[in-house]
Order: sequence, then structure tokens, then C-alpha cells
Amino acid sequence: MTALAMAVGAARRESPAGDRSGLGRTAVLLLALALCVGMAVSMTTGASGASIWNLLTTFFGGGEADAASALRDQTVILNIRLPRMIMAVLVGAGLAVSGLIMQGLFRNPLADPGLVGVSAGAGLGAVGVIVLGTTALAPLTAMLGIYSLQIAAFAGGLLTTFVLYQVATRSGQTAIATMLLAGIAIAALAGAVTGVLVYLATDAQLRDLTFWSLGSLAGANWTKIAASGPIIAAALVAAGFFARGLNVLTLGEATAGHLGLPVQRFKTAAIVTVAAATGASVAVSGGIGFVGIVVPHLLRLVIGPDHRYLLPASALLGATFLLLADAVSRTVVAPAELPIGIVTAAVGGPFFLWILLSRRNAIAW
Amino acid sequence: MIDARDISVSLGGRRILDAAHLTAPPGEVTAVIGPNGSGKTTLIKALCKDIAFTGTVMINGRDLSAMAAHEAAAVRAVLPQSSALPFPFTVREVVALGLTAGRPGVSLATRRHLPEEALARVDLDGFAGRFYGELSGGEQQRVQLARVLCQVWVPVLEGVPRYLILDEPVSSLDIRHQLMIMDVARDFARTGGGVIAILHDLNLTALYADTVLALRGGQVAGSGTPQAVLTDALLSEIYDCTMQVGRLPAPGQPFVLPHAGQVRPPLSTRVA
Repeated sequence: MTALAMAVGAARRESPAGDRSGLGRTAVLLLALALCVGMAVSMTTGASGASIWNLLTTFFGGGEADAASALRDQTVILNIRLPRMIMAVLVGAGLAVSGLIMQGLFRNPLADPGLVGVSAGAGLGAVGVIVLGTTALAPLTAMLGIYSLQIAAFAGGLLTTFVLYQVATRSGQTAIATMLLAGIAIAALAGAVTGVLVYLATDAQLRDLTFWSLGSLAGANWTKIAASGPIIAAALVAAGFFARGLNVLTLGEATAGHLGLPVQRFKTAAIVTVAAATGASVAVSGGIGFVGIVVPHLLRLVIGPDHRYLLPASALLGATFLLLADAVSRTVVAPAELPIGIVTAAVGGPFFLWILLSRRNAIAW
Repeated sequence: MIDARDISVSLGGRRILDAAHLTAPPGEVTAVIGPNGSGKTTLIKALCKDIAFTGTVMINGRDLSAMAAHEAAAVRAVLPQSSALPFPFTVREVVALGLTAGRPGVSLATRRHLPEEALARVDLDGFAGRFYGELSGGEQQRVQLARVLCQVWVPVLEGVPRYLILDEPVSSLDIRHQLMIMDVARDFARTGGGVIAILHDLNLTALYADTVLALRGGQVAGSGTPQAVLTDALLSEIYDCTMQVGRLPAPGQPFVLPHAGQVRPPLSTRVA
């Protein structure tokens, strides 16, 4: 904590007035360290008591642990904890960055894939595959294999984002009230169709759906990572190129164009990226809410709205936040576990209200 | 030179700009005047490709429709009428957006201090660390001008003149800052750049413009030197109120005196 305060203080002193780039760089560095700590904690804690040290000492020889417990530890760590940790990191980073891009695109700090119905659209795509995957959509799932859930969620997310943007944008200006209301309408519509699908579902599918809709990383395995990981990772890499564009977009679409941004092409790329990251995240982990709002907002308060630092910082903090939330969800009612969506909503809901309350008196924005 | 020919714009079936011409040579301040709704901002939007139009816009001999966004951004900067920001940027961060996006045409060492220098030009020394959202409307307008200046800091880069397009740059400024900002615009022109500015203040127009383009009802009602355009008859006609133009003794500079109580019914309700 002291180290953090000192680093922040040093960054402030060096820069000219109003330049927070030193602060941004420091924050990215500290958050990278925090993520490493979070990953280490995630790997070493869990219900089974498997020890990574035990595993390592056995592996390199000379350890006193017996072979049976070493094998068990290996299974727990390599096939349960490691995929789960990677999933938490990818989904956390993906959701936080999706929220950030959406806020930049709509020029509103309250935009979020969860709030404006993109997650609902992605969810509809995923539920469709779960319920109809063996009947009506069988040819599709046969063709797409392990990727069918991800691609259906991606398509659902893309479609809702596109409809949302078309409805809320007129002559280059996005009407925020329209966007939020359209988001509610689209989410309701997607919810209704999802409801019909749930009604049609078998008992086994229903169990899948319930667990999935609450949001959970419990089902993390290497197959899911192979299916969703590359999509989220590619979206994160693409997002790295959006910083300058998102910065000039805060001045409005016309001015962004005057500053040399190919606005239409940029918006399309950003929307596809958000839909990909959200869709792939929703497909593997269900409805984990509020990461996309809480993380960028918190960071904006500390390092300012420059996306060159906000993008990497959001990815890092989002990953760390989800690792922590996952740790809480695994331990708070151990040996059972709470769906992680409940944890993020329990933190995010009050936080969101706090944002609204503090904005009431804000003069700046 | 910015050369716009036969610019026509229709919105919802209504023609709001009708075959307008505008030429803005480097070295000059070109003022666009006219009443509300006469098509001034629409003309500017066409020059910036913000709106669908017919006609041609040439910048330094190149067709604007064939230029990519970044190519246009390298030769002209645009000041919008107003800009609210959704996120809490500092003043320095806003000004630096012009720097990172544009081609200021200065050395790397100078770039670092350019935001402060640009802020000093618009009389905002010491404002760099303040939050943009906490400034007054007039101060925000000057911050935006500092950003625009950063984008094309050097008026002539590699032999190519560059342009400032200003949509009501002094609309919310006090008189001192109006003069100051118009001085900045004129300096930009005097050092080889070109300036197109929409102005409502006819006396500022008389003071600063080299060429005046007067619009009424989407058509060009007159263009030429201030002496030629700012006349009793033309001004009274395009603004639908009685105005008297006098001359200052020494340089023959026109000044405009509006008359109270002589506003006429708008053109559309009068019988032609």
C-alpha cells in the first residue's frame, strides 16, 4: 500500500500539470504485478487442499510426498485450477475491455454489454445452441463442432450491438437515453425468446441452463479454453489498437473524423470486437455482470480517461477482479460453491448505485 | 487554396444550400456571414465531408472526396461550435488530442511543450491541470481552439499551406478574447495558412476578414472585400433589419450600426 502511494506520488511529481501518462504507466505496472499475485493465489488455494509445492517437489524429485497424492494434486492443479484460472483471466479481461470500448464508442460511462442487452443477445445465441443443438440446429452444431456455442453467442452479441447502434444513432450522434431504452427492449425480447427455449428444454438441459445463466467458471476445462480462449485473446489484441481512436471519439464522431479517424470503419471494428469478446465470454461463463462497468470506472477515477493506459489497465484489473471474485465464490460456502455471477452482482450492484449517486452532484461530467 | 464549387445540400427534400461557391486562398481570413439558417454551418460541414453534398471541394488542388480522413486531417483542422466531453479529461489531455492525431510539424522536443504553448496563445496559461468539464463555456471554446491549433501548428508544412476552419470561434467569448482569438486566426493566415471562419459579429468581420462571403436562404448573396460586401443595402437585405454602415476616418474601415425597432418580417412571409 505504501509502495503504491509512493509510486503514484512519484508519477505525479515528474509530469507537467494535467499530464497523467506517468500515472497511467505506473498503474499498468502495478496492476500487472497484482494480476501475478492473483494468479498465484488462485493456483495455490482451493477446496481440495492440493499443494502446488507438493507437485513441484515431486516433479523435480526428492520430495517426501507419496506418488498417489502427487498424482491427485497434479490432476487437481492441471485439469481444474489451471484451466479455471486461465478462464477467469480471459473472461475478466474480455468483459472489462468490452465495457470500456462500449463506453468509449457510445461516449457514455454507463454503457456496458450487460446493461444494454448485448449479453442478453449473446445469451440467447448460447441457449439456442444448448436447447436446439441436437434438434433444429443440429446441422449447425455438427458443422461448427466445439465452437458452435461460442459462435452462436458471438452472432447473438453482434446482432444486438448492431441493432442497438442503428436504433440509437442518428446522423452520427448516439442518443444515450434511446440506447439504454433500446437495450432494455432488446434484452426483454431476447429474454422472451430465451424463455420459450427454456420452456422447450429437457430436464438435463435445464440444469445446464440454470447454472450457466447464473454465471460460473466452475465448468472451466481445456476444451472450453480451446474454443473461447483464442476468440477472447484475439479481441484483446485488437482492442490494443483502439486506444487512439477511442480517445478522439470522446470529442464526438465529427471531430474524430476531422482529426483523421476513419470513423465508420473504426466503429465497425470496435463493435465486432466487443461482440466477439462478450460472446465468447458469455458462452463459457454465462451472465457475469458489472465487470465491464466497475473496472473501467474505478480506473478512470484514478488514472483519467486516456485509453492508451485505460485499455491495458482495464484488462489487467478485470482479470484480477474476476480471479478474486472466483476465489470468493469458491471459498465462501466451501466445499460447495457460489456462482460467480452472484459475487460480481453483489459487488457491482451497490457500486453502480454509488456511481449514480456521485454523478448527481458532479459538475465535471 | 480551398476551392468549393456548386455546393448543394438537401435535407428531407428541402434544399438548404444551393450551388454555393467559396474560395479561401492561403494568406487570407475568409469570413462567412449570414442570418441563422442561411446555410453557413452546412457549407462548413460540406467542406469537412460531414454531410452528403453535390459539387466539388478541392484542397490545395486535390479533390476532397478522394482524400482519406488522415490526409485531410494533415492539411486542415476544424473547430466545432461546442464540445461537451463524456469523460473527465484535463485541459492538457484535450489539447494533446490535437497533437497525437494531427501533424503539428514541429520537432519532438517542441511537441512536449506544445500544449502549454497553444494554451498560452488562447490566454489559458496555467489551465493545463484543470478539468475541462469544470471550465466556463468560453474557456472550453478556447481549449478546443488550442487543440485545433496543435493539429496544424505550422501554417505551411513542407511547402503546403494548411487551413483552420472555425465555426463561430468567438460566439461565447468576451470582447477581449474575441479580439485575441481573431488575432490568432489572422496571424495563422499572415504566416501562410488559410482561415475560414463563420462570424456573427459584423464589426469583427470588418476588422479581420480579407474576404467576406454572405449567405441568405442557402444562396450566396454577395462575396468580396469587407468594403464591397458590408453595405447598407446588402446587410439590410440579408438580415431583414435596417443597418447603417459607416466608415472609420483613417483606413476607411467599415463599421455596422443596427437600428432598433426596424426589424422586418422574414423573407419567406413577404411577397416577392
